[in-house]
Amino acid sequence: MSNDQIFISTDTPPAEPAALVDDFTPTLITQANHHLCPGCGEPIAIRAAMEAIEELELARSTITVFGIGCYTAFAHNLDVEVVQALHGRAPSVATGIKRMLPDGFVMTVQGDGDMVNEGLQEVLHAAARGENITCLLLNNGVFGETGGQMTTTTTLGQRTKTSIEGRDPHQHGHPILLSDLAATMDGAAYVARCAVNNAGNVARTKRYITKAYESQMAGAGFSLVEILTMCPTGWFVDTLEGPDYLQDTLAPVHNIGELKTPLVQQ
Amino acid sequence: MSDRALLEGSEAIARAAVAAGCRFFTGYPMTPFTKLLEYMAALLPEVDGVCMNAESELEAVGMAWGAATTGHLAATGSTGQGLSLMQESLSEITNARLPLVVFNMARGQGDYFQATRGGGHGDYRHIVLAPMDVPEAVELTRLAFELASQWRTPVMVLGDYYLAHTYQAVSVPSIEGAAPEVPDWALNGSSGGSGSAKIISPLGGGVEGEEGFDLGAHYAACAAHIQEMSAGVDPLVDIGFCDDAELVVAAYGSVGKFVRYACLRLRDAGHRVGYVRPITLWPFPSKAVHDAVAGAANVAVYEQNMGQMVEDVRLATLGAVPVEFIGGPSWDHSGFGIGPDINVPDISERILEAMT
Amino acid sequence: MSSGERELMLTGIGGQGVQLAAQVIAQGATVDGKEVLVFGSYGGMMRGGNTDSTVVISDQPIEAPPVLSTTWSAILMHHQYWTPLRERIRDTGLVLVNTSVFEDELDADRYQVVEVPATDVATDLGNPLLAAMVMSGVYGRKSGLVSLDGLAEGMRRSVPPYRSQLIEANEGALAAGWEMAA
Repeated sequence: MSNDQIFISTDTPPAEPAALVDDFTPTLITQANHHLCPGCGEPIAIRAAMEAIEELELARSTITVFGIGCYTAFAHNLDVEVVQALHGRAPSVATGIKRMLPDGFVMTVQGDGDMVNEGLQEVLHAAARGENITCLLLNNGVFGETGGQMTTTTTLGQRTKTSIEGRDPHQHGHPILLSDLAATMDGAAYVARCAVNNAGNVARTKRYITKAYESQMAGAGFSLVEILTMCPTGWFVDTLEGPDYLQDTLAPVHNIGELKTPLVQQ
Repeated sequence: MSDRALLEGSEAIARAAVAAGCRFFTGYPMTPFTKLLEYMAALLPEVDGVCMNAESELEAVGMAWGAATTGHLAATGSTGQGLSLMQESLSEITNARLPLVVFNMARGQGDYFQATRGGGHGDYRHIVLAPMDVPEAVELTRLAFELASQWRTPVMVLGDYYLAHTYQAVSVPSIEGAAPEVPDWALNGSSGGSGSAKIISPLGGGVEGEEGFDLGAHYAACAAHIQEMSAGVDPLVDIGFCDDAELVVAAYGSVGKFVRYACLRLRDAGHRVGYVRPITLWPFPSKAVHDAVAGAANVAVYEQNMGQMVEDVRLATLGAVPVEFIGGPSWDHSGFGIGPDINVPDISERILEAMT
Repeated sequence: MSSGERELMLTGIGGQGVQLAAQVIAQGATVDGKEVLVFGSYGGMMRGGNTDSTVVISDQPIEAPPVLSTTWSAILMHHQYWTPLRERIRDTGLVLVNTSVFEDELDADRYQVVEVPATDVATDLGNPLLAAMVMSGVYGRKSGLVSLDGLAEGMRRSVPPYRSQLIEANEGALAAGWEMAA
């Protein structure tokens, strides 16, 4: 391979668009292309969420409520019904929908800024009510869309644009472990935390999401799946370093595993 | 025995709402809104509806938003302060083109601007109806749901402590009737997997990268819709004795009823005074106000605040007639907006002063 | 003040049944097919504090706002908080006074005073708490605004479920008042 082929000139636009080697797009995602950064974990999480809907044959009864974050781009890229909510407010909107359509399948997609910062009371109240909805938390520990500022889930020592020397508990306080908090609510039926930083974790994510959906369809009450996602741009690391950074920075604090299942409850 | 009943304003409004087809209600207790929430909690289960005592006003308006997306008639409400918390959502719900009725049992009249200017962020307006008493509130509640459905917009019914807590004999609307049919745009999940699943968003619809997905175009459409409402919603106004009036007094809501009564009694005593009471506060009945005061020497505006609607009256009259503000804030220890100055002799005195 | 609108202001001490009397008279007038408006005081304690209420009855849609400065008639259950009401009663107005407990001068030359020993009558009927019902019965007949049947039905609509055992006694008290006003 010559140097010409290795180093792509950015002085001029590329001669042709990037080629799609194979189309892995699940049926319920309308386009393979998304506008999120390379290495972002959110498309993987949303893919798992949509595949589980398809496999459980819920596509024709699903209403998905989106919060505001990078993942919001997917609100216009799905073949399930969508309600776009405000930052933090998706659990209440989902509640109104579920109460009027108790046989429907209602879920939210929110980030850590959305759910744990702006909307903490919403998700906890929904959990306490035992609201029969499923909330998905895409947790990357930063505000991705605004460019990498600290959220309430940012771990101690983690560098962000608003905790440049690393999150310092004396100045910035401690991270909130949302799933651990939600699991303490009597109304929560299923709470689990997973990640999408390697193949095993992706498979686990799909499994947990499926269980949460089944829990809602069984009328068990509130379900939450927290998914740790990569945000190399917001973390200021190379794209390929995202998975390891997640493993070293987020995963040791936000522990992966099922926190509450009908079995654990008993 | 008549089919009429003596109902507290809050109960009359609750019955009218359910009779209009409202099937979802939610709110957070706050005087003088609380009673409406209590009556809805008692009534809605009778028609298989849902009433939720939300954990906060933020969550109440969110729940109502969600319920509205299902096409069932939904309502929420609060008091001015709680409405402040709801404004972010009300702005977005307006842009999401969702019907919603909002009952604002305000404290005094300090929230006219909040109600009529689009109290939240962004360049929006929604319809505002201001009944003067319980029978009119029953009628306007029905109209509010009708307009909300017709225009796919939030409609606010603006009342106060007097409206919420006065009992009046009214014809009891039957809550037994069937709710309106769910409209086509509503969500129920069934369009999923069709290749063109529905989306309801304050940011507009459409599939990313395809025609119809354009935030700029959506905001332009929202603006056009608001202008269409501004021109297309019938302005409602109550006008009395303006033909030969030297002075026309403008006022709205419960306070408008005090002013109206003062004008009626001043007329009995031979004073050439008329009144104009806007019922739709947005769109403001500018033409009717303009025409009503055309023959008068002066216009006086009475509000229980520092002067808010007076600006709309001035805009409606465009300098043709001098407009004087004769109201003012009036509070008692309760803070509920039932101040001591809101009485007929005091108001009559101010009207007579404005005539000289 | 307008033609056909009749106002009633009631004053007393919380616990005397002032709000209930206002409700019974107003519900009764509603049953009789009249237009009616009621606005009660919001402040004070349930028992022992100031309580008052305004009722407006008419054959036409009510023009009056909820708060009025003058009244055609009054029911004075107690003198404790009645001073503000004193000046509001219009000349020739109808004033029912509970002489069993009321201890103040009335401007008897200015308006038409009807003395009703309501608390005594109620005590004779077996329960001093029935005084407000006795007074309501007298008021219905003297004012000509509410029928006895209307009052009885209005009372049944006004009594909360947990007080339903009092319905029969209330009916007796209304009738006793009605008879006294003959």
